[in-house]
Parts: sequence; C-alpha cells; structure tokens
Amino acid sequence: MSLTAPRRRYRPPAPLGGRRVAPGGRRGGRRGATALAFLAPALLILTVFVAWPMLSALRTSFTDASGFGEAEWVGFDNYVQVFTDPDLFDAVRNTLWYTVLFTPTAVIAALVLALVLNSPALPFRGFFRTALFVPFVVSLAVAAYAWTYLIDPQVGLLNHWLGGVGLQLGNVLEDPQLAMPAVALVAVWKNFGFYLVIFLAGLQDIPGSLYEAAKVDGAGPWRRFTNVTLPLLSNTLAFVLVFAMIAALQAFDQIYVMTGGGPYGNTQTIVMEIYESGFRKLELGFASALSYVLLIATLLLSVLQFVFFGRREKDTQ
Amino acid sequence: MTRNRLTLGLALALAIGLTACGGDDDSSGDSAGGPVELTFWHGYTEADGDVLEQLVDDFNASQDEVVISTEINPWDVIDDTLLPALSAGNGPDIVAMPAERLPVYADRGAFVELDDFYDDPDSNTAQLNPGAVEMVTVEGTRYGVPTGFVPLAMFYNKALFAAAGITEPPATWDDWVETARALTVDQNGDGTPEQYGAAIPDHATVANGVWPSLFYGGGGDIVEGGTDVVIDSPENRATLEFWYQAIAVDKISPTGVDGIAGDGLFSSGKAAMYLGGPWMASISEENGIDYGIAPVPAGPQAQAASAIGVSMAVTEQAGDDAVEAAEQFFSYFLDQENAVTWSLGSGWPPLRTDVAADAVAENPVVAALTEQAEFGRPLLPGVVNSVDVLTAVDELTQRAMAGEDIGTLLSEAQAEIESAVG
Repeated sequence: MSLTAPRRRYRPPAPLGGRRVAPGGRRGGRRGATALAFLAPALLILTVFVAWPMLSALRTSFTDASGFGEAEWVGFDNYVQVFTDPDLFDAVRNTLWYTVLFTPTAVIAALVLALVLNSPALPFRGFFRTALFVPFVVSLAVAAYAWTYLIDPQVGLLNHWLGGVGLQLGNVLEDPQLAMPAVALVAVWKNFGFYLVIFLAGLQDIPGSLYEAAKVDGAGPWRRFTNVTLPLLSNTLAFVLVFAMIAALQAFDQIYVMTGGGPYGNTQTIVMEIYESGFRKLELGFASALSYVLLIATLLLSVLQFVFFGRREKDTQ
Repeated sequence: MTRNRLTLGLALALAIGLTACGGDDDSSGDSAGGPVELTFWHGYTEADGDVLEQLVDDFNASQDEVVISTEINPWDVIDDTLLPALSAGNGPDIVAMPAERLPVYADRGAFVELDDFYDDPDSNTAQLNPGAVEMVTVEGTRYGVPTGFVPLAMFYNKALFAAAGITEPPATWDDWVETARALTVDQNGDGTPEQYGAAIPDHATVANGVWPSLFYGGGGDIVEGGTDVVIDSPENRATLEFWYQAIAVDKISPTGVDGIAGDGLFSSGKAAMYLGGPWMASISEENGIDYGIAPVPAGPQAQAASAIGVSMAVTEQAGDDAVEAAEQFFSYFLDQENAVTWSLGSGWPPLRTDVAADAVAENPVVAALTEQAEFGRPLLPGVVNSVDVLTAVDELTQRAMAGEDIGTLLSEAQAEIESAVG
C-alpha cells in the first residue's frame, strides 16, 4: 500500500470583487506599493545589517585589511591561503567530526522524544514539553559555563555523584578524545528542544485517520512509524537536518567557553579559526575569505540535502 | 539557533560594515580653543581601577590644557571591542591592554611611535624597568608606556607547610620538587593524591608565563629578538624532562590543569605551592588561605620569571594635539610620586627602578614583589603573532606532560613557531 502526502498547495487569493486584475495594472501597482511599504523596514534592516556587510566582507576578503589603516588589494591570496594552510585542514576535520557527533544525535533525540511526547497517553505532557524546551532558551555561553563546572574533575557535581557509585568521569575537557564529544553533547542538550518542537508541530499535522487506516490494514507500531509517520514528516525532517547541520558547521560559543579550542587544538573549529584570525591576529582579509568559503560550503551541503530529500519524496509518491 | 545568532562570519562582516555607519566622528579634541579632550580605555576594574581614576582626575585638575575621560573595557574582551571601534574610526585616543597584545596592533599600524617621547628627558621614562620597556618595543621602536610589569611569583600555603614541618619556601628546582613530594598526600593509597605539593598547569597558564619561566630557569628561551626561534634546544629538552619526571611520575601536581583550575587548587588548599600573579594574594585572603610569597625557585641555569605586563599606547586616530596631550599624561603618570601611588593602589610593583622596596613597605605584597622585580622577563617581546606561538607552546607542554616524545615535540614546536614568526 502506498500513501501519498497530503500536499498543501499555494493558491493565490481570489481577486477582490471577482474581477481579475491584469498584472502591472493600476490596482496591482498600488498593492505592490503597499506590500513594499510593509516590507520596507525589514528590507532596510536586512540591507544595512546583512547584505551590505556581506558585500563589504567580500571586498575585504580580497585585501590584507587589519581593521584600520590602509588595506591593499591582494587578489586571491587569502583564498589560496585558506586552501593551503595546514592548520585549517585540522579545523575542517574537527568541524566535520563535530557535525557528525552533533547532527544525528540532536535530531534523533528530538525525534524520539517528540514521538513520546506526541502520545496522548503520556501524563503531564505540557510539563515535559516545557522542561525539554527550556535549555534552548538559555544562552549557549551560559549553558557552557554551567556544564564546565558540572563536569569539572575537582569541584564538579557530576563527578561527585558518579563518585558515589564508584565511577570516575576524569578530566573530560582536557582529554584529546573526549573533549569534542563533550562540547558536542552540550550543544545537543541545548538545541534539541527546538528541533523537538518543530517535530511536534509536524507530527500534529499528520491526520489521525491515516493511522486508523493503517491499523485496520494490520500495520503494527513500527510499520505505522516507517510507512505513515516518516514519509509525512520528511519535509520537517529535511528542514531540521539542514538546520542542525548549519548550526554544527558554525560551532563556536561553547567551544570558546569550555576548551578554547584545546586540548592541542582538538576542538578548534573553522569558526574558532575565523575568530582568531580576525580578532586576535587582526587578519580581517583572511578571516573574511575563510568566512566566505565556509558560507559556500554550507550552502552546497544544504542544497545537496534538499536535493536528496526532494528525490526521496518523489520516490515515495 | 541560527535564527537569533548570525554566523560569526556575518558578525565579522558586520564589524567591518559598521565602518560605513561609524562616520568620521573624531573623538580627540581640536585646537579650536578649549582643552584637548582624550578618551582612555582600560580594563582595571578592582581597587586598581579606583586609583587609576584618581590619578586621571588629579591629572585633569593639575592643568587646564588636557581633559582625559576614561572608559572601562575588561582585558579579556578588549580585542572584541577595540578592533571594531578602530575600524569604525571611533576608537579611543589612549588604550591599555595586556602587553603581549601590543605588538600585533603596532605591527598593523594602529599605534603612534613614541621614540621621540622616550628621548625627551622630561618624559620620566629613563628610570623605567628595562624589561617593561622591552615589552612595548617592536623592531626597535617603542609604541607604548608600561602600566604594569610583575614577574610570576610562588605563592605557598603556610598552614600546609607548617603541618609538614617545613619552614622555608624552596629556593631551587630540586628543593621545589623535594618540598612538593613531602607535601603530596595520598591518604587512601589509590594513586590519586588528595593533596598536591604543587599545582603546575601544563597549558593556558597564568598570563601564559609558567613554562616560559621554567624554560628560562633551565637556560632556554622561546623566541629571541622577536624573530629568532630557539625553542628546540637541549636546555628546553632537559627542562621538560625534569618536570615530566616531577609532575607525571612523582605526581607532585595534577596533570591537565590550566591556569583557572590552578587558581582553584591553590585557593581551596588542595595544592601547597603555585605560581601566580599579584591577585593570588587577594584570592587567597578571600578563601582563608594563610599564604607566603617567594620568588620562582632558581633553575639550574638562571633565576628568572616570566612577567605579566600591561601597557598603554596612543592610537593612530589621535590627532597631533591629542598625541602631545597623551604624552603629557604619560610623564605625569610615570613621575616618582605617582609611580608609588599607582604601585600601592594597583598592588603591582613600581615600574621605576629607583623606587626602593621600603617606599612601598606599607603594602607587604607589593614590597615582596618589588624585591623580585629583577627576575622579571617580558613574555615574547616584539613577537607580532604571539597567538600562534603561545598555542604551540601550550601544545608542546601539554603533550610533553602527557608522556609523548619530547624530542619530536620540540622539533614540531620549533617548526610551528618558525612559521608563525616568519
């Protein structure tokens, strides 16, 4: 049996008075102007604070700017440096490792808990939903400080409690193998509540009648999940995955707070490199070039994911 | 997450973008009558901040040509604030910053050269501690005036010393290790001591100074003359082997500790000896630790300690009048009487070598540190890319204390640092 996702198609609103107005006509022009007037504040802010700085950074990436004084045009030198600097290979490797640790963990945790919380049989659903969402409201830097103290080997509560049952956590943030999983887990803890809320919204959009029909056809819980829930959730899933991956590629806050990129540069991510080049070494040209390479890489990966999910959706239809 | 947080790249772009919005508001006063107005950014937030404000007020009252207004920007975020401000043309006229951050700004042309000022006999710079002046010198040119220069010192826990029957702080490395072994206690015999003789961080140490101090003691160094990399030396190898034995094998200190954790170990009484800055005195008092201060014990080759430095500089945005006015303030700040006031108020030893320890005797911490001032060596003076050099040193010491091959690590560090300063 095959199930088709109910597709919500965009329908243009019926023209007022049932009369069709030619595009570009007088009425359309006035409505366009009204729309533009409503959009203007947002567009202005986007132009001044997003578009203009992006263009400015693009220009900077071709110079040896330090933030003050004269900047000289250096052509593609900064980009060449981005692709030849051995330290950056490590940063790219670390960022990918972080992405692999963070994205599936956060998405699967959010999906599983969303399924649990979506079950009407669960008591105190509202309480659990709020409790799981709370970490997302906390600033990541604050969460990172709190976790640093919780897992501290000398004064940490977590070690104290684990010590009570004879376990030792050790100095996680100074361990070259464990530091990255630790900072990734803090981000998972902080962010999965947000993905969870998106999944819950997606789950509530699935009509109950489909589950009933599946039940009548004899589908068990697993079949209902794989044949009803997953296909109908695939748009949401694609969105959450892309969102989580972008967040992972931008990992910075908790790493800056918890490890500063250590031990031995094992948690040094691309954005940490951008910060250090720009604000510590005053190499704004190189930092801007690196930002652009990261932006383009992120865009490409996002497009790839959307293409993959778009194809899958077609296959299931 | 992305929704409310722009990518850092964008934030960076924003910082650059604000150049356009910043306009050309020149904060330094012009000569159209009235006094020259200067802005002065610094990060002194404790009692030292109050004394500095008082000195600035006194300076403002002492003449009617210059008025300085101060603004506090904590040391750890000074880069994040100063860079956007300078690129927007809204920076301060005078800025104080951790000394190892000065060369990179000077190298990029952010600061005014002060050689002429130093040559002026009325500038009160002739008596400055030469080490302190070295830390504001880049390729032979002086770009700043020191506001603080203090060698790392050993803080020791008198109660723990008394309990172990030890009366004197150690004077040499061998003493240090022997004393520390006597003070390391593993009551339950599980191999993890409950009390350590010392806390010797292996990375991100206080003002990055612990390992440079040890390297100096062993007769080695990191970078000489701003560009000559000398870290891969037999002296440094011997130093690392000595401390590997003491820390990792004899366990006189926990491993994997950084400067913040080290402060915590000493102030909680879990470590009996610690290398720290003047603020360890007040941290110890707050935590009820009865402490003593001694110089960093002498190594086999030298008695030396890396110094924590703060310096102030005049930004290129200051006009000619403003530069002259800033220099007027510097000579006021450095005169003998104010140097003593500043030293007592900040808790740091006097910057002038002609202030004797008994002139600051009313503050015993300052007096103790003043006696040690001669051991102080500036950290990486004239090194523009100190960020990468310090990262390489951290990696070297942390890996060495974890038991990796010291010879290999040293040659890797040498290559890394050469590419950073080259």
